[in-house]
Order: sequence, then structure tokens, then C-alpha cells
Amino acid sequence: MEAVPALRAVGQMRPGDHLLLGYDTDEERETVLAAFLLDGLASGQRGLVLTPGDIPAGLALSFLEAYGCPVDEEVAVGRLAVDPQLATPEGLWDLDEVIRREARRAVADGFLGLRVSMEVLCGRAGKSLKTLHDSELLLDPVFASLPVLGVCQYDRRVFDEEELIPLDVLHHGRVAADLVWHDELLSITRTFAPPGLALAGEIDDTNVTAVARALHAETARARGRTANGVRTRLDLRDLRFVDVGALRLLVFSALGLYAAGGTLVLHGVAPHVQRVMRVTGWDRVPGLRIEQGDREARGEPPP
Amino acid sequence: MTRTGFVHQALCYGSDDEFLEGTLEFARDGLAAGDAVLAVVKNHNIALLEQALGSRSGDVQFVDADDWYGYPSRTLGQYHAYCADHGGDRRVRVIGEPVWAGRTDFEAREWMRYESLLNVAFAHSAHWILCPYDTRTLPADVLRTATRTHPELALGARISAPSGRYADPADFYAECDAALPADPLPEGCDDCDDIRFARGRSAAVRGALAAYARRSGMPEQRTHDMVAAVHEVLVNAVRFGGGGGVLRLRRDPDYVICEVADGGARNWAMPARFPGHLPPDARAVGGHGMWVVRQLSDLVAEDLGPTGSTVRMYFRRPGEFIRPPAV
Repeated sequence: MEAVPALRAVGQMRPGDHLLLGYDTDEERETVLAAFLLDGLASGQRGLVLTPGDIPAGLALSFLEAYGCPVDEEVAVGRLAVDPQLATPEGLWDLDEVIRREARRAVADGFLGLRVSMEVLCGRAGKSLKTLHDSELLLDPVFASLPVLGVCQYDRRVFDEEELIPLDVLHHGRVAADLVWHDELLSITRTFAPPGLALAGEIDDTNVTAVARALHAETARARGRTANGVRTRLDLRDLRFVDVGALRLLVFSALGLYAAGGTLVLHGVAPHVQRVMRVTGWDRVPGLRIEQGDREARGEPPP
Repeated sequence: MTRTGFVHQALCYGSDDEFLEGTLEFARDGLAAGDAVLAVVKNHNIALLEQALGSRSGDVQFVDADDWYGYPSRTLGQYHAYCADHGGDRRVRVIGEPVWAGRTDFEAREWMRYESLLNVAFAHSAHWILCPYDTRTLPADVLRTATRTHPELALGARISAPSGRYADPADFYAECDAALPADPLPEGCDDCDDIRFARGRSAAVRGALAAYARRSGMPEQRTHDMVAAVHEVLVNAVRFGGGGGVLRLRRDPDYVICEVADGGARNWAMPARFPGHLPPDARAVGGHGMWVVRQLSDLVAEDLGPTGSTVRMYFRRPGEFIRPPAV
């Protein structure tokens, strides 16, 4: 089993943090980055995006529009900025200098601090990862001494996990999208590859409403991805308990999706939960698909 | 012989010949009519029927009664699943010989209740259930009760008559309730655990219950079942029983017993008839909770009322259950 680095929700970041984002899809990158930058705007900080390509700021940040951010306006007043620093040949090498300078400038311009996101491209990382390693190493003192917090983004479709692991020690940890819900029994997180929700813990009468709300929002997002044949996927591998009332919610959601040509996919349902679904006939409801556990997900044959 | 609608008959037999006389043509008629035929009978009777059916025995599904008649509600669930899988538009004919040997009085009473409830559970089906009763071995009260739980008596090949003593299932259900000894659970014993619960606190109760189950040597799967079943009763007590109550946990050599008692509520609503005995439609808005409770428990006894309700769930403890041989 691979060691899973500790994940911190983007909403829990604070000045001095320098976290690594390994993302699988553009949706995941945009979700984390949007929260990161919008939290910065709300906190009186400047948001700076270092891109590996020279594209206009409005275009580079256009995904923020979907989150209700007036991008052009924010760029015009200098609250958001885009710098093609990482597109230059020395982009990585003097990265620490750039961030030190930008952090000081943000304060001089009257901001309470700077939030900087950096998209690291494999090509720019050099033949070996040494240059990247060195530049990340130089960044740390900057984050330790100035009111700046940063996210280094690594596209996992380009970087192997083996390449990311040595970089973990150069960051304060990894960052992930905010939790959708968290209480003493249950946490709900978004998953991106494949897209859906992961439910961990226990669902009963105290938190079934939170599940209903999360499921409703996720279905709306799924509808945004595909016009028809909506698939809403719930990863239930870490769900230890779910009561009949909550299962009924899932069944009725599935029936609703089915009526619209869609499916609710339940992944990794524990055997004792499947048992309850069998005796209620809920394993055969149209629109509900129960996927088997990890093996199938990894494309392995059943035992 | 063709019939329409649901048929439920008792066949009292005192010899191998009488058993065959009552069941053989029943099975043959079913096969000839294209019915699904299921025979859940004693091992000895499986052999008799197989031999008599000859080449056609392969078309009948045989199940050893000991493997099928585990616990009443679950057996009812199994029959439902079987009829759903094999019935469809077809009639299902069942030769179903319940197991009476080795039952405690309480268990036997619940099996009698089960026989009566079949009349409700399959009332709207066209299935045909024939229940053999061996007059050589069964106690008189079991035989007597068979005439009250079956609308008809089979009297040999293709002959039947109204029982004449058939009791309405609702009346019989109440009679079974009244016959249950009102023995309170022991207080303050070493093996006891009383857990008070209130709205929104069921997670802590689930944790304590799982710990009690493990202390009692229950296997992991049965612990999950217990937690799920007891939780549903707790939710009902909170919703319909005034917001809280007490969960009493006890164990005897045979069972772990979980009793949920609430204090009642002024706005108490009458529960459905035969609560949890009839499988709700998968798409129904309610009624799944008590069905799940009965499917996951081994035995359930309930006493529901506006001034307080008690639901007692029994979970057999592990260890080989040795059924005493039939006399």
C-alpha cells in the first residue's frame, strides 16, 4: 500500500503554508485554486498566479467566473494578478526571489498578504528533477518569513507519484479540496477521478440531511458535466454504518436520476450494508448501480 | 387440479404413503401446469418424493427443511425472494414442512404465527403452499394449531376441505401476543447493560451495543446486523415513542437479547398491522425499518402501545446449535 501523505483542506490554509497540490483533473485543480484565491480576496490578500504560459490574466483566471468572481475587475484593481514567470527559462531558478519581491510588494500596496499559486510543468523541471528540487528548497525560507502562502500544483497525469513523493518533504504537506461536510460521525469529500463524493464514517438520522444536500449539489454538478445520462458516484469504502432512512434517501435519489436517464453509482459498499439492501430489495432498484470494491476499480479480476 | 388465487393447505400425514399421496400429485400437477415447484421437506421425505417422481424429480427444487426453516421472519423473506425470482407470472407451488423439533415454546409460537402470516403475506399472489404435518411425531397442540393457521386441509390426492377452524390472522396474531410470557428481563446482573438513549444520541448507543456484542462473542457479521436492527428500533422509539427510552442488553446461553423500551407518546400513531412481517415495496416511503429489524434479528417480540412500547430482539449466540432428534 502506498503511503498517503496527510491532506489539508484548502480552507484551512494559513500564512506561511507552502503546500503541494497533486491533481488528477482540471476540475480538481480549478476547485482547489478557486477556493485558494477567493479565500485570499475575502481576507484582503492579493492573489498571484504564476503560469508556465504567456496568456492574458482574464483568460488564465476565467474559471473563477463560475464561482461568481468578477475576474476583469479584480485584475484591474490589482487584487488578482497573473505572471508568466514560469514560462521563462530561469522561471524556476529565481522563483524564491520573485515570491519574496511579490510578497513585499503586496504589503507595500496595502494588502494583508499574498497568495501565490504555481503551476509546475514537467518540461520546465529540467532533465532531472534537481532544478525543481533546489528551487522548492529555496522557497521555504520565504514562506517562513513573509505574509505569504502558496500552492505548488503538479499535474498527476504528467508527474508520477514516485516523482512527487520526494517533493513532499519540501512542502508543509499536501492540499485538497475543502470538505463538503464534516461532523463527529461523518465526513464528505469531493472526488475528482472519477468525479463524485466520498462518504466516510456513519450516516444516521442526525446527519442524513447533510448527505441529502451534498448529493443534491453533486447531482447538479454532474448534470453540468454531461447533458444526459448523469452519473452521480458515491465512494462508500470508508462508510461503516448507514441506517435505513439514509439508504432510502439514496434509493429515492437513484429513482429520481433514473427518471431523468441517469444513474447513482455506489462504490465499495460494505457487505453488511449490501445485506440490508438485499432484504429491502434496494439492490435491484432501477437507477442504482452497486459497484464492487477496490479490485474492480483497479481493473483487477475478481478473486 | 387448477385453482385461482392463493391457496394454503395443511396436510396431516401418519405414514410415508400418506405423505406421498398428499404431495406427489400436487407436484406432478404443478409441473404439468408449468408452475415452479419447490419442496422444502425433511430429508427422509425428499428421498421419498424424488424416488416417486422418477425422471421428473430434476424439475422440482428440493431443499432440506433444516436448512430453510431457520427463523420465521427470515424464512418468510426467503420465500418472498424465491417467489420473486422464480414466480413472475408463474404460480409457485411450495411443499413446505416447517421444523418443530427442538423449538422452545416461544420459538414454536413464533412459527405458528408465521404459518398464519403466510395467509397475509401471499394473499395477493396466486401461489399454492402445502404444509405437511407429521402426526407421528408432532405434539398435539402443533397439529391442532395447524387447522387454525391453514384455511384448508389437504385430504389425500387432489382432495381438500375447508379447515372449519381457521382463525383470522389478526386475531391469531393477538392470540400469539397474549400467549407470550410477560417475563421481564433480569435486573442488575453481571451480564447486563442498560443504556438510556435520547434523540440524536444513537451513535453512542451503537458503539456500546457493538462492544456488548463483541463481549458476548458475537461474530462480526452478526454484530453489524445487531447494530443495524437495534438502531432502527431506537429511531422508531425516538420518533414515535416520546423521544427516548432505554436499551436493555442481556444474554442467556442461547441468545443475546436487546430490548428497546420507550415511555410512549401522546400523539402515538397505530403501527401498521403485522409490523415488519410483510415486505414493503422497494419504492414505498416507509415500512422498511421493522422489516429490516425482523430480517436481521433471529426472533422479535413486540408490545406496542400509546403509553409505552417494548421491542425485544433475539440474536442466537454462536456455538453449534444441536437440534434434539425428533421423537
